[in-house]
Amino acid sequence: MLDRNVAADVLARAIQTGGDFAEIFLEDRRGQGLTLRSGRMESVRTNRSHGAGIRVFDGTRAIYVYTNDTSPEGLMHCAAQAAAAILEGAGCKPVGFSHWSAARPQEIRLFPTDVKAARKAEKLRAADAAARAVSPEIVQVSCSYADSVQDVLICNTEGVFVTDTRVRSRLRVAAVASDGHENQTGSEGPGASMGFELFDGRVDPEACGRNAAEMARTMLHAENCPAGVYPVVIDGGFGGVIFHEACGHSLEATSVAYGLSEFTGKLGQQIAAPCVSAVDDGTIPNEWGSLHIDDEGMPTSRLVLIDKGILTNYMIDKLGGRRMNMAPTGSGRRESYEWAPTSRMRNTFICAGQDDENEMIATMGTGLYAKSMGGGSVNPATGEFNFAVSEGYWVEDGKIVRPVRGASLIGKGGEVLMRIDRVGRNMTMAQGMCGSASGSIPTNVGQPMIRVSSLTVGGK
Amino acid sequence: MSRMDEFIAKLLAAAEEAGIEPAEVCYAESESFSAQAMEGRIDRYEVSASRKLGLRGAVDGKMGYASTEAFDDSAIEMLVGAVRESAVLSEAEEQDEIFAGDASYPELTSPENDIDEVTAEEKLALILEMEKAAKAVDPRIDKSRGAYIATGRGREQIVNSRGLNLKRETPMGGMASAGIFLVGKDGDSTATGGKFKAGRKVRELDPRIIGEEAAEETVSRLGGSPVSSGVYRAVIRRDAMRPILGTFCGVFSAENAQQKLSLLAGREGEKIAADCVTLMDDPLLPDGFASTSFDAEGSASRTKKIIDGGVLTTLLHNRKTAKKQGVETTGNASRSGVGGPIQVSPTNFFFRPGEHDLDTLLSDMDDGLLITELGGLHAGANPVSGDFSLIAKGYLVVNGQRARPVEQITIAGNFYQMLKEIKAVGSDLEFLGGGIGSPSVDVGSLSVSGSGR
Repeated sequence: MLDRNVAADVLARAIQTGGDFAEIFLEDRRGQGLTLRSGRMESVRTNRSHGAGIRVFDGTRAIYVYTNDTSPEGLMHCAAQAAAAILEGAGCKPVGFSHWSAARPQEIRLFPTDVKAARKAEKLRAADAAARAVSPEIVQVSCSYADSVQDVLICNTEGVFVTDTRVRSRLRVAAVASDGHENQTGSEGPGASMGFELFDGRVDPEACGRNAAEMARTMLHAENCPAGVYPVVIDGGFGGVIFHEACGHSLEATSVAYGLSEFTGKLGQQIAAPCVSAVDDGTIPNEWGSLHIDDEGMPTSRLVLIDKGILTNYMIDKLGGRRMNMAPTGSGRRESYEWAPTSRMRNTFICAGQDDENEMIATMGTGLYAKSMGGGSVNPATGEFNFAVSEGYWVEDGKIVRPVRGASLIGKGGEVLMRIDRVGRNMTMAQGMCGSASGSIPTNVGQPMIRVSSLTVGGK
Repeated sequence: MSRMDEFIAKLLAAAEEAGIEPAEVCYAESESFSAQAMEGRIDRYEVSASRKLGLRGAVDGKMGYASTEAFDDSAIEMLVGAVRESAVLSEAEEQDEIFAGDASYPELTSPENDIDEVTAEEKLALILEMEKAAKAVDPRIDKSRGAYIATGRGREQIVNSRGLNLKRETPMGGMASAGIFLVGKDGDSTATGGKFKAGRKVRELDPRIIGEEAAEETVSRLGGSPVSSGVYRAVIRRDAMRPILGTFCGVFSAENAQQKLSLLAGREGEKIAADCVTLMDDPLLPDGFASTSFDAEGSASRTKKIIDGGVLTTLLHNRKTAKKQGVETTGNASRSGVGGPIQVSPTNFFFRPGEHDLDTLLSDMDDGLLITELGGLHAGANPVSGDFSLIAKGYLVVNGQRARPVEQITIAGNFYQMLKEIKAVGSDLEFLGGGIGSPSVDVGSLSVSGSGR
């Protein structure tokens, strides 16, 4: 993708004014997206992204310049623009490149770029038909499929010169149930770091369509969720978004390094109930958030964030590491060359515990069972988080009595982690797109079924 | 002829040769600058230049789509091949149209800017001063979460084989914005707050005013606590109302209505909102950030009242949705990126301001809540059902006065229902760097979840 001599010249130009680190991130991405709506293939889109970002450090100051012009002249121009932002820095001496290839646990059997769009379309048709078959109340089904093959080259003045190919594929189904006066929705979106072999046993488009449609239909016949403070049981899979929002973001160097997280300075301290252990793991083969190397060219890792309630690690990128005086953890990620990298999550989950799932609900009294979650967000400085319940059930005296709609859950991360009083035995993960300072990136959330003794439930 | 014009001509020729007819290119380029100061030091500095090109075109009357950011000969081959592969699979009932253009277009005057005049040094000095001004306001301002400045400008060109060749600035006149986010601390209480402003001229962004307003907002939120759960009267301040309107603007799209994703299908002429509600889509707004004389299909822009005194007068259309419904396009065609299918989007989209300022709305409400910030709209608000259940912050209002800060509550309601229950629309319309704008709105009653059951 890039000649080593050109790369060395560009890096040298970037640090000419005193930068003490420089990096080139070069990307070429090919992607295809298909959308089926109202039972018809509405559009097929093929995209190629191509560009490079040059980053220079001056101590803890970061300069980033990006362009689509990846010719030697284009890169040199970017390097000069970046260098011009530094007046007098400490400087550094570039180290000669040592090319290496990371271990490749994410084996790809069927590259999406080698699969005809017509075969991808068949999967959408299967999902669509299954969703429509659920009920005449299903008035609309939107099915989409997207894949991406991203080639990257990352090199820097510390001698890193590494290339990688990241392949991801994902199916999404959104169903709408309506009685003419009211609409309710249901959705499912499984994906993986896989090619078209995603559909060989891992993802069943028909099941995906059915689940989305069942959710929409259930919610159409649901009553509004009551508002107030209640015990809440949150199911596995996408339920893990509670940990992602309530804790995960606040353990990223992006906020910790600035002292802007409620968990700054709390390594070694208890921040969660003893039944809670949590991990951020980029090494699981073929998972949606897995990597070989991060977007700073470092091998990915498995990080224990919380061990039996005790905070053990933060997720740290290169710049965050400089600020915190700690080693990076292979957590530097970015959406594309249009974003400077920062510390981000990969596959983040609460580990399996020992509690019985039936007992959890039977002993909760009156409250909410959140079976399926939507997305959420967090303010790391205060720990205030929120997320939406896409499929919920009301529980009275330990029995599930009816489906409820329109619920959201809010709280403060530190308080909620301490109030987890049950952790189930079977951990499952689900796929999401996480938006933050370096753009929108694929991450997994996960957990077994858990119970929070009290949480503010938004409803009406 | 520039290199890009040559590329476009070559691409359209290759498309024609491959049997893609008609064909259309959308080309977009932009440059941007941004920087951030944190605790008295510049810690982030970014410069970018970007070029993207999309090709859409028909094979046997069916439309295909592709886009690229690389501009070599292999790019032409890729675009043409991908459009053909994509077109063959299309089963859309109505196909997107490629339009030869309107006879004339409204003229708009591009606002002046100073983006290229102001040096990077001056921009950096501005954000450092903004931080300083914020911190000087009150000792309870604990930290800056970052003061930033951003400037950007871009151009877009649409060229097609039917003779259309239009150019526009994106946004018209460019944009300059600056803002700051702060953390306040008082004993055990931590609060965050911020302020940002957008315009065309860097030198009109007053760092002292932005810094001071951010600090005042942050300090006023310290010591917040929930109210008890229940039903409350509520005024939503303009900066919290704007994202609600942005989240639900899709319900006014004819595309969504035709796809059964909006409950407004076929309801033109019906009363769907309170008498005091007039909702505008005005692409000709002088100085608007979404102002434009034509849309993504090359249709001439025009000003519409979507809701007029509570009555739905029109949905927003592109050529395809208009044809399907037997009406004229409203000039609201948009593209998802340069390479996606034609969709429908609003331009400058806002509640027409009423007569009363925020203080009057509060005194008319007497007792209730003033909502100033909402979170989690991407998840807690459902544009298809209209339901929302959102984390909120604001103030308890007693006798028309702000009595104390409120946090850790949710407000829940339904957008369609809310339109009908609006009691008053304020006079303080604000846009802040985008097409969506709102004044503060007295929305009637909302369900609030706070402390207790």
